[in-house]
Amino acid sequence: MSEITSSAHIVIVRPGSDRPEGSDPHGTLRALRGLGAGVRVDVFDSAAAGLAASADADLVVVDGGSPGEAEALLAQARGAGPPVLAVAADAADAAAVEWFRRGAADCVVAGVDAGQALASVALEQLRRTRGERERRRVADRLAWLETLNAAIVSEIPAAIAVVDDAGRLVTANPAFTAAWGSSGRLPGRRLDEVLPSELLETGAIPAALERARAGHPAVPALARGVAPDGSPIFYDVRAQRLDDEGRALLLLADVTERETLAKRIADLRRYNENIIQNLNSALLVVDTRGVITFANAMASQILGAAGDDPRGRSVWDWFSNAQGQGALLARSLQRGERFRGAETILTRADGSVVPVGISCAPLVDADGTRLGAVAIFQDLTEITLLQRQVLQTEKMASIGQLAAGVAHEINNPMGFIHANLFQMADYLSDLRRLWSQVGDLRKTLDDGQVEGIRRAGEALEALARELDAEFVLDDFEKAIRESQEGSERIRHIVRDLRDFSRADGEERVPADVNQCLDSTANIVWSMMKHSVVLKKRYADLPPVDGFPMQLKQVFMNLLVNAYQAIEERLADSGERGEIELVTELRGERVIVAVSDSGVGIAPEQLDRIFDPFFTTKEVGVGVGLGLSTCFSIVRKHGGSLRARNRRPHGATFEVVLPVSPAAGDAERRG
Amino acid sequence: MSAPPSFLFVDDEARILSALRRTLRREGWEILLAETPDEALALLRQRPVDVVVSDQKMPGMSGLQLLAEVARLCPGAQRVLLTGWPEEVPRQRLAQLGVSALVAKPWDDGDLKAVLRAQLEG
Repeated sequence: MSEITSSAHIVIVRPGSDRPEGSDPHGTLRALRGLGAGVRVDVFDSAAAGLAASADADLVVVDGGSPGEAEALLAQARGAGPPVLAVAADAADAAAVEWFRRGAADCVVAGVDAGQALASVALEQLRRTRGERERRRVADRLAWLETLNAAIVSEIPAAIAVVDDAGRLVTANPAFTAAWGSSGRLPGRRLDEVLPSELLETGAIPAALERARAGHPAVPALARGVAPDGSPIFYDVRAQRLDDEGRALLLLADVTERETLAKRIADLRRYNENIIQNLNSALLVVDTRGVITFANAMASQILGAAGDDPRGRSVWDWFSNAQGQGALLARSLQRGERFRGAETILTRADGSVVPVGISCAPLVDADGTRLGAVAIFQDLTEITLLQRQVLQTEKMASIGQLAAGVAHEINNPMGFIHANLFQMADYLSDLRRLWSQVGDLRKTLDDGQVEGIRRAGEALEALARELDAEFVLDDFEKAIRESQEGSERIRHIVRDLRDFSRADGEERVPADVNQCLDSTANIVWSMMKHSVVLKKRYADLPPVDGFPMQLKQVFMNLLVNAYQAIEERLADSGERGEIELVTELRGERVIVAVSDSGVGIAPEQLDRIFDPFFTTKEVGVGVGLGLSTCFSIVRKHGGSLRARNRRPHGATFEVVLPVSPAAGDAERRG
Repeated sequence: MSAPPSFLFVDDEARILSALRRTLRREGWEILLAETPDEALALLRQRPVDVVVSDQKMPGMSGLQLLAEVARLCPGAQRVLLTGWPEEVPRQRLAQLGVSALVAKPWDDGDLKAVLRAQLEG
């Protein structure tokens, strides 16, 4: 009872009433209020007002009046509106019949015990109304669900079918029919006759149905079919048990695109991994702290960590971030800077050192957040060895070119030292003769005979005159001095040559560029002094972090080129050419300019002169590696090499060297 | 007593000249020295000499060029080339210019004296 009355709404209408407000002659209001606190009872004195308020009411009670007066309410009840309960003032059957005829749900006659009857009839009516409404709600919901279901089943792109326990189709949606229903009506036919055999071959569909009938939860499965064009089609297979009679819902969704894409991604990934792993270069990925997150096979090999995975270890276990090119790596990691083709060394755990050429780029995600860096490097051990050999060969070749000049330079002092030695031997025998005469004189002194002493003295004097002893002593001294000076010259030449032919060590050292230039010029000078005036203007320079022997090689090549350019223009003219050597400091860079008054460079050759094997010289004069060697040495120092023509004659080659590699890097970026 | 034979030595290396004078001081010859071809030619314009001995490699003018010039200025002079690379000097050219002897540098004391003495007999 309580669930019916907990939130019931009753509208009492007293049509055509002229009864005073608040009167309740039939006890109607009291009886209905007595149904419970949850019952809301509204009273209206006109049918029109009651009608307006009663659309959502559970029950309309017409208290008194005639059916005619309550027609609007009765019409509402005859529709789907709330039922009407009439409380008739008299017991005339005709009146009651008329109420029922017009659609009242019940009629209670007012009287002494009418309150009790009214309450129970009202309650009964409320119950019925509620039941009717519930049924209608369920029916509506069911109808909606059916519509939704039909819409889903017919519109979903997946093929859906209901299969009975014997493997026969009960029903199938349009997608299923479109795919496999071309051979006729589907319901009643066996699934294995309807679906193509290759689709069933993988066993995914029967297995899914089996699992579903056994009540096991569905697991993702893939069935593979073949499209008319022969390409594979993939279906995601799902089956769900529907009822106890063994019917199951089978759902096949075409996931070919997804699967093809997934396969393509997997292929691509494998492809990339293959490339990266088999790369002839080492590839390292490090996070912003320098911890290695990826290393390919070559990287592991060069790091000397082929046995154990270098991932998780710090890159600083191998590279030094303190100085030189290693600092570039540190900066790339810390600030996300990019650099290419730097040369540095890495130190393995066993202490061995590997020269590497390294490039580095920041690793950034889609939001621009820095994740770390990617470094690619190559083992330069062999290249470095080869380069060193080439450098040394080049150097020796340039010494070969200088040999004639150097030999001349040594030959002259050799010539006069050699001649002087002959003469000094003569002088010495002269002096011996004098000395022996002095011995005779001493003997006469011992004898003490004045005549003997006088004769010996005269003989000594005569001999000294004959030999021109005064001159011999002076010239002996002069010959020694000149020979000493000559041997000193030879010593210098040999020292410069020895110095020049040495090779550099692995590590950079502070190099005195002025000294490198000057000692190289000294060697070349002997070759060119007869045809060239050499001018020098050196500035005070800080030491340059580099390889001095290689710098000498650069200067040597530039000087020899300058000399040859002058020879080409002025040979046999008797006119002297000019070579000017200028050094200066510009900020963090040292500039060395070698200018000549030679033939200059043909404009069309200006951009080719630094190419390997490019030569304008006759066969046999050079191998064409001179300037390209210079170029690579200068670049190794982080600097640059430029050439330009001068007016009216000749060319200037300008070597720019950063004081330290870091300064050079800043310049390149700047 | 006739004047002693005169020799003019030309070499851009002063020490070579000094060593030559030293070597030949006992020969009783008049020894003249010039450090450049120009200096040598200037001297020859003032007086003749019996023998001119020149270095080959010199700034401005080679020894052979100088000796050719000497032949014009002082036709009576014997001409000797003193060079570190005797094998590089073309014999044909020597004959053309009438250069009478070639002495290698560094020279052998005895050889040099013998060659120079021979010039006076020719």
